[in-house]
Amino acid sequence: MHEGSWSRHDGRAPKRDGVTAAWPAATVAATSVLQVVLVVVGGPLLVGLMRKVRCRLEGRVGPPIRQPLLDLRKLARRERTRPDQASWVFSLAPLVLVGTTLVIAAVAPLLTTDPAFGWYADLFAVVYLLLLGSVALALGALDTGTAFGGMGASRAMTIGAIAEPALLLAILALSVPAHSSDLPAIVSGSLAHPIWLATPQRLLALVAFVIVIVAESGRLPVDNPSTHLELTMIHEAMILEFAGSDLALVKLGESMRLAVMVALLADLFVPWGIATAPGPAHLAVGLVAIVAKVAVLGVVLAAFEVAVAKLRLFRVPELMAGAFVLAVLAVVSSLVTP
Amino acid sequence: MALIILLLFPLLGAVAAAVGKARPVAAWVAVGTNCAALALGIAVAVREVQSGPMTGAWGVLRADALSAFMVVVIGTIASLASWLGVRMVAAELADGRSTRARETTYLVLVQAFVGNMLLAVLAANVGVLWVAIEATTIATTFLVGHRRTKGSLEASWKYIVICSVGIALAFLGTVLVYLATLHAGGHSAGALDWTSLMAHASHFNPAVMRVAFALLVLGYGTKVGLAPMHSWLPDAHSQAPAPVSALMSGVLLTVAFYAILRFKAVTDLAVGPAYSRALLVAVSLLSLALAASLLLSQRDYKRMLAYHSIEHMGLIALGAAAGIPLAIAAVLLHILGHGLAKSVLFLTSGEIMATEGTSRIDGIHGLLARRPALGGVFGVGLLALLGLPPFSLFTSELLMIRAEFQVGLGWAASAAMVAMVVIFVAVAGHARHMLFGSGTPPTETVSAGADLARVPVVTVARSSPLVTAPLVVGLVACGVIGVFAWPLTELLRAAAHVVAP
Amino acid sequence: MNGSPFSSSLTLGVGAVLVCGVAVLWLSAVRSVIRAISVQGIALGCVAVLLGVHLHDPALIATAAVVIVVKGVAIPMLLRHVTGGQPLARETRPLVNVPASLVVSAALIFLAFARTRGIAHFVGTTAGTLVPVGFATLLVGFFVLVARRRPIFQMIGLLLVDNGIALVAFLVTAGVPFLIELGVSLDVLLGVVVLGVLAVRLRTDFGDLDLDALQELHD
Repeated sequence: MHEGSWSRHDGRAPKRDGVTAAWPAATVAATSVLQVVLVVVGGPLLVGLMRKVRCRLEGRVGPPIRQPLLDLRKLARRERTRPDQASWVFSLAPLVLVGTTLVIAAVAPLLTTDPAFGWYADLFAVVYLLLLGSVALALGALDTGTAFGGMGASRAMTIGAIAEPALLLAILALSVPAHSSDLPAIVSGSLAHPIWLATPQRLLALVAFVIVIVAESGRLPVDNPSTHLELTMIHEAMILEFAGSDLALVKLGESMRLAVMVALLADLFVPWGIATAPGPAHLAVGLVAIVAKVAVLGVVLAAFEVAVAKLRLFRVPELMAGAFVLAVLAVVSSLVTP
Repeated sequence: MALIILLLFPLLGAVAAAVGKARPVAAWVAVGTNCAALALGIAVAVREVQSGPMTGAWGVLRADALSAFMVVVIGTIASLASWLGVRMVAAELADGRSTRARETTYLVLVQAFVGNMLLAVLAANVGVLWVAIEATTIATTFLVGHRRTKGSLEASWKYIVICSVGIALAFLGTVLVYLATLHAGGHSAGALDWTSLMAHASHFNPAVMRVAFALLVLGYGTKVGLAPMHSWLPDAHSQAPAPVSALMSGVLLTVAFYAILRFKAVTDLAVGPAYSRALLVAVSLLSLALAASLLLSQRDYKRMLAYHSIEHMGLIALGAAAGIPLAIAAVLLHILGHGLAKSVLFLTSGEIMATEGTSRIDGIHGLLARRPALGGVFGVGLLALLGLPPFSLFTSELLMIRAEFQVGLGWAASAAMVAMVVIFVAVAGHARHMLFGSGTPPTETVSAGADLARVPVVTVARSSPLVTAPLVVGLVACGVIGVFAWPLTELLRAAAHVVAP
Repeated sequence: MNGSPFSSSLTLGVGAVLVCGVAVLWLSAVRSVIRAISVQGIALGCVAVLLGVHLHDPALIATAAVVIVVKGVAIPMLLRHVTGGQPLARETRPLVNVPASLVVSAALIFLAFARTRGIAHFVGTTAGTLVPVGFATLLVGFFVLVARRRPIFQMIGLLLVDNGIALVAFLVTAGVPFLIELGVSLDVLLGVVVLGVLAVRLRTDFGDLDLDALQELHD
């Protein structure tokens, strides 16, 4: 391909559209730290916001938006328990989950188009990290040796088996016009050529992406985050045995994944507002922009959840397969259109 | 002008049937119109041989030698089939097995069927040909399901689904041909006319024409009943009432093959004869092998006749594959002979089923002893169909084999002959079971009239000449053509040169 | 992507045709599937209108009007009439289940794009590059014919095949001459009528509509 290439071997940051000079290293490091803090704090806040919106729409007052943060603090002080049969996998799972999400938060183009180690934010790497987190959690659930753990893990992996390829293909469709699979390159390319955002393949990729976000973060109509019925729970079954600070880490990891995926959705499809030049003013604008976009998307998702009913479990693969085919259509049409 | 009148005859018959509401008079009027169409067709053929192709209806219709020949074939078999259809309609009404409305629909649809086939062979434009053949599918679906049994319903569903898919593929092939002609500089107004296609064919893009011809063979081949698209044929031809089976097996298959012949002529000019030869040889050998293997185990004589049609269509495809004028003339002669013999056989089997009440081979014994007229006609018809002299199928098969050896397809002809021997054995075995034997007790006087009058199943008393006359006429015509081809030689030669110039 | 409004709206219309075809495999309720076919017919008509406007061809616009009326309105009405007695019917036991059908359809779409590039290059116009979509719709229609048991789905598979071929015809040659398109649409309409009558008869004679139960005729 042309300006970018599909893999980096030289370790140097490539030139991209819209970026005329390399940013100073201090600014880059500061923005990455800022992104991580934003995701760590913003994740639970996003979950709280969505819960608040749902409650309001259902006619209740609901807990305050910062309630998930308070829950995390409460859980962190509680005693850790673990099943007798569990091994180091069980202890490691929450750490891997949070760790992978932190890495994505650091390198993904959330605030700026030149995050630290941005050229490693290849779409394959990001999807792989997300998958690593899900698999780690599923292995941890399997490791508990209980029936619910195994059941939840198998259901989650069934969904993930089709959702991850769909996610990969959806972002691949976005990367074809940018001739690069680096997420920062895609974002800055979209800023430079707004016409890309109005094409049918963007629409198809958007629909597929949204379905995958709903599936991967365990929200309606795929999974109800507040259910504990054996017939219906997927994610909740996996984390049933975690307690204390393990559970705090797991819940933090879940909310961070949701925040990261929604932020990526916002920046890949509606990139305006992201900081393209170093400087406190641009960064401030980028911060405000990403917070606003994520908040709006969160509200929309929550409203959608109120309107829709949960899908029966055996119908979920149909939905995932539909998302997969839409992503395939997006890729094919972006490869074929003149 | 003559061509428009030719198409108006079936319309007249349909109107008469609709107005007359299935009374015998209306049915005879329909027979009359079909005979008139035959007569006019012969006149058109004579005119064509003398003075060249004629056009009509502002260029939508065109009759060259090939079309005129097909018109003669259609007219002949339509007359035969509707002649016996009169009796079938009257019998069904008298038995109370059907209502007047259903019989009226039957007669109207048969006339529509014949009219669409005439339109297909007279069409000057490839699109009109497609529309006409699709219309025949629609008209015949209800005819196949006429008897309203579960079997006929299943047969008509399978028929229309499979044939619709085939016709859709043929349309795709037509679109690709249109693409090729537009790129070779044809004007869109007359681009799809046969004359324009033949004139520009040497400039067509070969790759597009190859794909187009494959699609056309696949698509129209479905309607011809070539393997592997044949699965609707045994069901549809065995479940339909006898005159409809005669028309479908005798003519409709060959009208669809007429389309393939015309497209072969165009394709050979564009890509050379080797491609169409290979494709047609492959399809024909597959059909012959399939028919040979399945005929051995048949238990129903109408299905046996249907599979036999698949064999003959395979033979016709093999003849067409050779491509030289001798082969094409043989193919056309075979079309006529097969049409005559097969329709006579289907009509006879309809009579047999009406009198015996069963369509299974092992349910019928000693037909020659009990009903000599019917049995005789059936036996002689089978002899004709199996290719014995003096019938025309012997002549046409001999000419085809000679042509195959001439172009180097001797190996294919030998394989075909092996299949034909197997089929001969199979059919002769089934026929022996049906025809020979002691039959009913010998106290009855064995005379044609008495036997046919004493009928257990059908209550309408009929005189034998009305039933056997048309059948005998058909067989005699088949024999005469086999020995003296003189009325047809000029027409056949001209028609062969249309396809293989 | 050259980005001209003509090519992006053409891509949108053509993509809508294919997405409706895939939706037929995705949805199992008969009512939704008929709605998908109706949307596909209208999208097909819109593609024809776009081409007609771009090529300044009034005959093509007239053809588009015929297509919208027949394939977008009349045929879905007939289909709804055929299934009128069972408004909540759905395909509950397909031959190939929904996720597998969708994956197979993705494979068929790739196959169509891979094998028909030659024709797209031969045609050479902007519309010509979208020809593989028509072939993909054709293949998806074949798959629907094979993978579903109810007669209504076989009819819909046939319609998908027809729509795919019509799309190829529009993109490749700006349609066939108007009179022929009229005849073709009329034939398709009559075919659907005949299929509908047969489907109703099948329901009354055979009861529960499962085409695998039609086993009376065999050798």
